[in-house]
Amino acid sequence: MEMEAKELSMEMKEYIVMAGAETLDWCMQCGLCSALCPWRLVPGHLSEAFYIRRMQRLGQLGLEGFDTEEILFACTTCGMCQVNCPRQVKIIDNVRSMRSTTVEAGFVPTNLRSIVGSLHANGNPWSEAREKRLDWQKGIEVPVFSPGTEYFLFVCCTSCYDPRSQKIARSIVEVLKKAGVSFGVIGTEESCCGETVRKIGDEELFKKLAEANINLFKEKGVKKIITTSPHCLYTFKNEYPGLGGEFEVVHYTELLAGLLAEGRLAPSGSLKNKKVAYHDPCYLGRHSGIYEAPRQLLGALPDAELVELSRSRERSLCCAGGGGRLWAEVPRGERFGELRVLDAEEKQADILAVACPYCMIMLEADCLALDKQEKIQIMEISELLNACT
Amino acid sequence: MEKKMGIYVCTGCDIGESLDIDALLKVASGEYKVPVCKSHPFLCGAEGVELIKNDIAGEGVNAIVIAACSQRVNYDVFNFENVIVERVNLREQVVWCHPANDEDTQMLAEDSLRMGIVKAQQVSLPEPFQAENLSKTVLVVGGGLAGITAALEAARAGYKTVLVEKEASLGGWAAGLKKVVGLRPPYTELEDLDLAEKIKEVEGNPQITVYKSAQIEKIAGAPGMFDVQIRQNGSTASERVGAIVLATGAVAYDAGRLDSLGFGKYTNVVTGEMLEKMAANGGIKRPSDGKPVESVAFILCAGSRDKSHLPYCSAICCTESLKQALYVKEQNPKAQVYIFYKDLRAPGTYELLYQRVQKEGAIFFRGEVYGIGEVADNQLVIAAEDVLAGEGIKTEPIDLVVLATGMVPTTAIGEKLVIKAEDEKGAQEEAPADEIIRSNILNLEYRQGPEVPTLKYGFADSHFICFPYETRRTGIYAAGSVRSPMDIPTTIKDAAGAVLKAIQCIELTAQGSAVHPRVWDLSFPEFFMQRCTQCKRCTVECPFGAINEDEKFNPLPNPTRCRRCGVCMGACPERIISFKNYSVPIIGSMLKAIEVPEEDEEKPRILIFACENDAYPALDMAGINRLPISPWVRIIPVRCLGSMNLVWIADALSKGIDGILLLGCKHGDDYQCHFIKGSELANYRLSKISETLNRLALESDRVRMVQVDIMDYDVIPGIIEDFVKRLEEVGPNPYKGF
Repeated sequence: MEMEAKELSMEMKEYIVMAGAETLDWCMQCGLCSALCPWRLVPGHLSEAFYIRRMQRLGQLGLEGFDTEEILFACTTCGMCQVNCPRQVKIIDNVRSMRSTTVEAGFVPTNLRSIVGSLHANGNPWSEAREKRLDWQKGIEVPVFSPGTEYFLFVCCTSCYDPRSQKIARSIVEVLKKAGVSFGVIGTEESCCGETVRKIGDEELFKKLAEANINLFKEKGVKKIITTSPHCLYTFKNEYPGLGGEFEVVHYTELLAGLLAEGRLAPSGSLKNKKVAYHDPCYLGRHSGIYEAPRQLLGALPDAELVELSRSRERSLCCAGGGGRLWAEVPRGERFGELRVLDAEEKQADILAVACPYCMIMLEADCLALDKQEKIQIMEISELLNACT
Repeated sequence: MEKKMGIYVCTGCDIGESLDIDALLKVASGEYKVPVCKSHPFLCGAEGVELIKNDIAGEGVNAIVIAACSQRVNYDVFNFENVIVERVNLREQVVWCHPANDEDTQMLAEDSLRMGIVKAQQVSLPEPFQAENLSKTVLVVGGGLAGITAALEAARAGYKTVLVEKEASLGGWAAGLKKVVGLRPPYTELEDLDLAEKIKEVEGNPQITVYKSAQIEKIAGAPGMFDVQIRQNGSTASERVGAIVLATGAVAYDAGRLDSLGFGKYTNVVTGEMLEKMAANGGIKRPSDGKPVESVAFILCAGSRDKSHLPYCSAICCTESLKQALYVKEQNPKAQVYIFYKDLRAPGTYELLYQRVQKEGAIFFRGEVYGIGEVADNQLVIAAEDVLAGEGIKTEPIDLVVLATGMVPTTAIGEKLVIKAEDEKGAQEEAPADEIIRSNILNLEYRQGPEVPTLKYGFADSHFICFPYETRRTGIYAAGSVRSPMDIPTTIKDAAGAVLKAIQCIELTAQGSAVHPRVWDLSFPEFFMQRCTQCKRCTVECPFGAINEDEKFNPLPNPTRCRRCGVCMGACPERIISFKNYSVPIIGSMLKAIEVPEEDEEKPRILIFACENDAYPALDMAGINRLPISPWVRIIPVRCLGSMNLVWIADALSKGIDGILLLGCKHGDDYQCHFIKGSELANYRLSKISETLNRLALESDRVRMVQVDIMDYDVIPGIIEDFVKRLEEVGPNPYKGF
């Protein structure tokens, strides 16, 4: 009569709820989340193992099984499920809380150990020295933030250290300068915003990073922040106020779109009739509700033909790099970032424009994996703008 | 009454352009010597109606045939006092579904007119049955929420009411509730039920006579004149009432049969009713030691939706359990609540209650409960399937387990009686019988048994879509959970609905009219007793138990119980039952009026007996949609297929008609027959004649019965065509020309 029975653990369930999964019980297990999950779009082992509905069910019952690495760390926190949840369950908070039950107990998946370690030691996830944080500035003049500066430009760790991504930071600086924005960078004391590490479940480390940043920003007299990455934007806007860090935060695309409207930014030159498709990053789109600004900027590029991807705006498909997945190994053919490149190909785009350093890393790798790099160029919006101003 | 006939052919709505009207009028004036034969281009207009009225006043015309549109329309326009009106459907069933100016269409129109004329010749005007000493009082049986509401509604509508309750106080099940689910926004709070207020209102209302600690000893009579004997405190009171609302509710399923869920075995397994009592009287405690509970598990569908217990859903157990989960949480917000369910049925605003319980931290499990075991300190452990996790699970020790048991209608409790015709020759195939359960509620003095017939689970109801509230006994209307499992708001509405039906019955009975679905009908069956052989077919087969018997088995009709369906007329082998405007000879002469061409003309003739309730309107709709129908058919509407007497089939076949198609309502478990058993009885009777047909060297294929509903208009032409094809294979009726 009986299948093997697992024992409920209300203690474990309570622990998860206390860690931040306050809406765990709201879930009625309809399964819309699992159906909308990008993992359904790809084949492979992880796709077969990871069902967000079931993971939440296991959490509700405190049943063992949710804590296996492939289930617990599969979610990219893209938010597709969360924005569509009929019960408004804060699914990502639930994921984060469930992860924290193991991470706080000292268990960190192998692939994430180095980034956690580096965040502790260097304040960045890239295992690079804090002193090298400004290496990206080589070859250009970047203003230093001082009390008289309007904006503090916070450059994402990825664009500080990753060679490809450093170009993004430089082009953003160039465009801001051309538009006459008053901005500056603080320097090596800056730490990672902590977005990813919070999603991984290391609440303590997140707090440490956030508090260090908040103290630093306050000390320097920061009132307004421009972020280069939507992930930093989300964290400063949504997580820092709870820790005492109230700042006016904008993504650089929002700021530039405003300047464009005011006529302070006037792209010239020519994109030679290239087709440009825009990929909405999850943390700029679904998580922050910014859909128009990037499109306004791309629309201002001379001689560029803008095309919409079939999955766009609220329905945009994740690049697969969020929630710590940037550091995950996924076999070719099982990455939904590859589908994103194919989306661009479907619309015969020459350029797939992104507005997030994670998307840049993921989609460029996927483009190479598909051997489409000759056909489709992955470009950051600021790079296109910089080329045309 | 000396009849003077008048025939009026309307030439509007395509009729004039499609038919030879002069030839049609010649049928009336020539073949039938009808003295007044006229046509008019717009008969239902003021001028057309005036034309008829002038002939009634001036010429003394008193039997009229209107050859125009369907009988289902303009019946109010063509309604003249003390004048017989017959309708011939030239529009929907002739010109709209057959080619214009065609020989066969003309023959069809002429046959239709012939049938109308002979019918008008034979019918007489019904004289309404006028009973004496009629009562307009409503009897409400059962003083729970439904009964109380029904009594108040009846009194508010101005009707005297008698309320009988077997317990010493009013209120029933609802009186034992601590709280009810809130029915106002935000729908998540528990509220008090204002039952005490209602009870006060009932007991203080001079229009309402309340009998408590009382039971119905006997009910004799019929609508408008039920004589009720009420036993109370050793004495008997008598009341005459016009109609009855049955509101005796339901009781909880016997948890004693649920030992697999630990009831009776473990002290801390209780029923929902027991929990409600605890909550209302000092709080929820463990029966084993009286300690307050730290964890409670609710098992929903305990013995419900389960073939070995109650196969159905009782509608309220899910929401009652959700409510009780909140009792637990209100008493101790930290208490752990587990809810095991098969499907959680919390529709409408109950969804918001469900969400609240979820948000309060109750854990829901969908799946089968494998078993319950007792561990130390009388705590319980439940092993179950969790479909959502895809795992078997075992709970932590729980203080209290609550079984949400379902509803058993009070009409389902008692000895089962199956009412059959007693056939002296013994084992013959029996006509479908009603099941009546001796539940000791109404104690009717009816030939067919002391209670209302029940549906398959013992609920007292008729067809739940077409005739809610109506039981299979005219004048007795069921309300609340005796009729179907229902929640509190539905019960309140239900009680009001049933009372309205009771009032309609009282008023229509006073007018001598039938109740729904033949509200306008003043006719009633008359019995030519000299020829009765006391075979009891009519008394047994009447779907409404309208006919009692005397000690010599003579039928004793009760006209106010009668629905005028004519099932008795179809049942009677001696053909002694007839209505003034509907009888075996009337329909017989109609079908004999059909002209049957010689075999070599290759124009077969098919007779359709179409049920007036569904098949006939469906045929009209086929016409409205201009769907072509075979020109060989001739349609006779019948009140119910159950009123079809087998002699009509014999008459039609011996006249040379090639085939007979019976279009009636769906029968069986989800029957749609307006008279419950009519189409089923027709089917049963038909099964008996195929043998006879074969003996006469007539293929039994010549008679076919098809079940259609009102929406089947689009398939009806195909049904007919299919029958035509089969008849072509069978060949012409050999009796043609005899």
